[in-house]
Amino acid sequence: MAEPAIFFEEVNERQGVFHRRAILMGGFAGLGIAALGSRLAYLQLLETQRYEKLATSNQFNFKLVPAPRGVIVDRNGAILAANRPNFRLLVVKDKEFDTEATLQTLANFVPLDDRRQQRLLREINSAPRRAPVSVMEDMSWEQFSAINVRSAEMPNVTADMGEVRVYPHGGAFAHVIGYVAKVNQEDIEPTGPNADPIMFHPGFRIGKQGIEKALDLQLRGRPGAKKVEVDARGREVRHDEAGDIAAVPGKEVQLTLDVDIQNRALEVFGGESGGAVLMDCRTGDILCMMSAPSFDANRFVRGLTGAEYRALANYERKPLLDKCLSGTYPPGSTFKTMTALAALEAGINPALTVNCGGGMNFGGRYFRCHKKGGHGPQNMQDAIKNSCDVYFYSVAVRIGPDRIAKVAREFGFGQTFDIGIPGQKKGIVPSTEWVRKNRPKDPKWHAGESLSYGIGQGMLTANCLQLAVMTARLANGKKALNPRLIKSIGGKELPSGAAVPDLPFSQEHLNYVRAGMAAVTEAGGTAFRASQLGLGDILMAGKTGTAQVYTYKAGGHRGKGGPWRLRDHGLFVAFAPLDAPRYALAVIVQHGMGGSTAAAPRAREIMRVALLKDPELRARIEKPMPMPEFQPDPELDSVPDEPLFAEPDNLPTPASGAPLTPPGRGPA
Amino acid sequence: MIRFTLCVALMIGLALIDIRVWFAVAYPVYVIGLLLLVAVELVGDTRLGAQRWLSIGSFSFQPSEVMKLGIVLALARYYHGASAKRARLSWWLLVPAGMIALPVLLVAHQPDLGTAMLILMTGAAIVVLAGLSWKIIAAGIAAFVAIVPPFVMFVMHDYQRQRVLTFLDPESDPSGSGYHILQSMIALGSGGLLGKGYGLGSQSQLNFLPEKQTDFIFATLAEEFGFVGCVSLLVLYAAAIFMALRTAYLSHSHFGRLATAGVTATFTLYLLINGAMVMGLAPVVGVPMPLLSYGGTVMLTVMIGFGLVQSARVHRYAEVTKGSGLL
Repeated sequence: MAEPAIFFEEVNERQGVFHRRAILMGGFAGLGIAALGSRLAYLQLLETQRYEKLATSNQFNFKLVPAPRGVIVDRNGAILAANRPNFRLLVVKDKEFDTEATLQTLANFVPLDDRRQQRLLREINSAPRRAPVSVMEDMSWEQFSAINVRSAEMPNVTADMGEVRVYPHGGAFAHVIGYVAKVNQEDIEPTGPNADPIMFHPGFRIGKQGIEKALDLQLRGRPGAKKVEVDARGREVRHDEAGDIAAVPGKEVQLTLDVDIQNRALEVFGGESGGAVLMDCRTGDILCMMSAPSFDANRFVRGLTGAEYRALANYERKPLLDKCLSGTYPPGSTFKTMTALAALEAGINPALTVNCGGGMNFGGRYFRCHKKGGHGPQNMQDAIKNSCDVYFYSVAVRIGPDRIAKVAREFGFGQTFDIGIPGQKKGIVPSTEWVRKNRPKDPKWHAGESLSYGIGQGMLTANCLQLAVMTARLANGKKALNPRLIKSIGGKELPSGAAVPDLPFSQEHLNYVRAGMAAVTEAGGTAFRASQLGLGDILMAGKTGTAQVYTYKAGGHRGKGGPWRLRDHGLFVAFAPLDAPRYALAVIVQHGMGGSTAAAPRAREIMRVALLKDPELRARIEKPMPMPEFQPDPELDSVPDEPLFAEPDNLPTPASGAPLTPPGRGPA
Repeated sequence: MIRFTLCVALMIGLALIDIRVWFAVAYPVYVIGLLLLVAVELVGDTRLGAQRWLSIGSFSFQPSEVMKLGIVLALARYYHGASAKRARLSWWLLVPAGMIALPVLLVAHQPDLGTAMLILMTGAAIVVLAGLSWKIIAAGIAAFVAIVPPFVMFVMHDYQRQRVLTFLDPESDPSGSGYHILQSMIALGSGGLLGKGYGLGSQSQLNFLPEKQTDFIFATLAEEFGFVGCVSLLVLYAAAIFMALRTAYLSHSHFGRLATAGVTATFTLYLLINGAMVMGLAPVVGVPMPLLSYGGTVMLTVMIGFGLVQSARVHRYAEVTKGSGLL
């Protein structure tokens, strides 16, 4: 109050500054609010569409639903692979829930021991965000409903119904069809057909072998999608059914296989190891392709335990190996048909005889015939019938390896066939050129090697399918037909194997070799007893083979016991009916010791089923006996009470006069 | 709602208190605030990695909120007794500078950078309104601009730096650190002109929007009520600011003026910082939207602030002298 003037001036100055600056501050505030407003206008009016799209993609999620996998059926439509419902238990990683505690809770409902819980915990924690992990498959209805009732308390747990692959015939088709299994890291390629988000679906299974692998994309179909509203944690809030995208089911695949023949083949192999391939020799359709011993493909779908896998992988008879396609074996004497044809093509007169004294000397070595005392003088037909080694030794030396190789190649040796599944091994067809290329240390063909070549031994190897193709090509006359395994995909028929050019061999020569094969199953032939079909006049022709696995001196045992892995392979190739060949068959019994003892009896059983299933042949088998010409007999006419016929009229009688039927076989 | 009713009642109650009472308690409130900040430093609760909370029995609060009011009162009280010359350019300016620096440093150390900045800027606003020389203002702004980049790079905590860097490029990590800003902008943008309707915002209802009831409540509103709703809200805020400033303008006492303007500045800063953050114009800082965000302490602070403003309005003709007062 001492200096009021200054005081007031002072006050006024302070007030004036304040008022000016308060207005300024108001201006700044207004500017700031206007800035916010214009930013809002930009976001909400100009960019609305962009953000609406983003909001929608937040809000809605398409959850993939795997398509039902295509079924695989046999040639008659019998199911070989299908799908069945499966109650699954899935757990997803969720920040709000303790996965470990969840698993412990679940252990009250389903069997989950501590070790499995530990493994699942690791799996769940390493799974991608929002990708559920399967905790249990194939729950019972009780387990499924018990968990579903409590699912509200455990949003990170889902119990749902999926589909699981089922193979109703267990092991019979395991090698051809293969199996499906969980996707593993190698299946997920960054690009290519497998760069598909469905791969991460816990219910998805990918084809791992055979048809399931080769036709995986067709069988897979196109996954559908479930449109769901999700919250920020990915939990499903609402299901918008109108927005669902339907799955396109996988295509149905029809194979040429026949369920009955295939099952019978597995059955007759029992515990033996080997393969059997049966083909229609007019169309090339493979009716049976069976590898024994087999395994239950359903176990692979579920996932093998380590012990199960080791048991399969370490078993000496190799159940996991496909012996029809992936195993190659020396064809042994079944190859003599090829040597014989090569000889005929080289101009050797089949009537010329070679004297078999039980062996022959060549190049300072003694080459034994399988018959100790020798067969005596043999022409070509005799040699095939008796499987005389000496005859083919001498013929092979005369014609050399390249002629044999040429014939073998024409008949399918040394190649793979386009039957739609992977895993075929080519085998080896040796020739002078082959040794030059593949044996750099010893590039020259030794004449002694021709001898073993002539009887299907030595470096020569083939798989069971090749032997079946060889037989089919020999049997059908002249066609170089190709095997077919997949009949149709999604109703679309695949080309038959019959549309092929003829073999470049003379019909006469082929007929001659065929006649030799007919002699094999005649009385006196190597497979006479084991090849009788018991189907009336329908006969089977064939060729036995006993392939040496190991030099006898080193412990191999021809036709005898001994360590299993050193025993000879037994082979048999056959076709039937003899007079109008329809089915060709190759059977390999690994270490089965003899073609006529191990392979031929099994071949007979398989062939019988095929013949009996063929309606035309069945009609022929069941055909009533032809009525004898009625000749009125005055003496009988006078005794009207006597029966007219001596025998019931439904006894089967083979048709007479089949050209190749040897005497003593038909009705006497 | 109960909280809000209580706060409104408190505001009206505070409005009836004589401005001279406010004047008298100004320094004590500031000192208590400082002591509480020191206490929080020593015995405070650590939540989410920051020591900000002080518990008394079952009641816990953030002392930094007290300081928001304390700084306004204390600075207004100081400048009430200071001459224009002192306020413009003199060594006396070190007193208000110290009054601002002390709480700012304490709060920043918790660390609560958002609140520290708010206190700093509120204090700066009062200093400027009280008549700081333009030279110092210019120098201050220049110093601030110069200090920010090194501060961001070397002094800030990692999570703070991350927030700033994310703000500069929110789409670099949409599911990680950029998530908040991106989701907020999606909520805003997808609201469009008229919004999706009350309770129908997919971003907020399905929890894509983080902190949908607290720091990001404006985005929730924007999504459901659209541009029209947002602009209406901004207009209301602007009206509140205008009326508060008018109160300051009409106030006869320098204390009343500065205190009211200080509260207004705090309020405006809340609004602008939160708005800018929600719209992707500022880094994510824990500054709520005044009056909208759910949260007790902030609402209390704002209501007390408005109580002060209304008290200044009611008692705008009161003479406030150093000696006068009811206490």
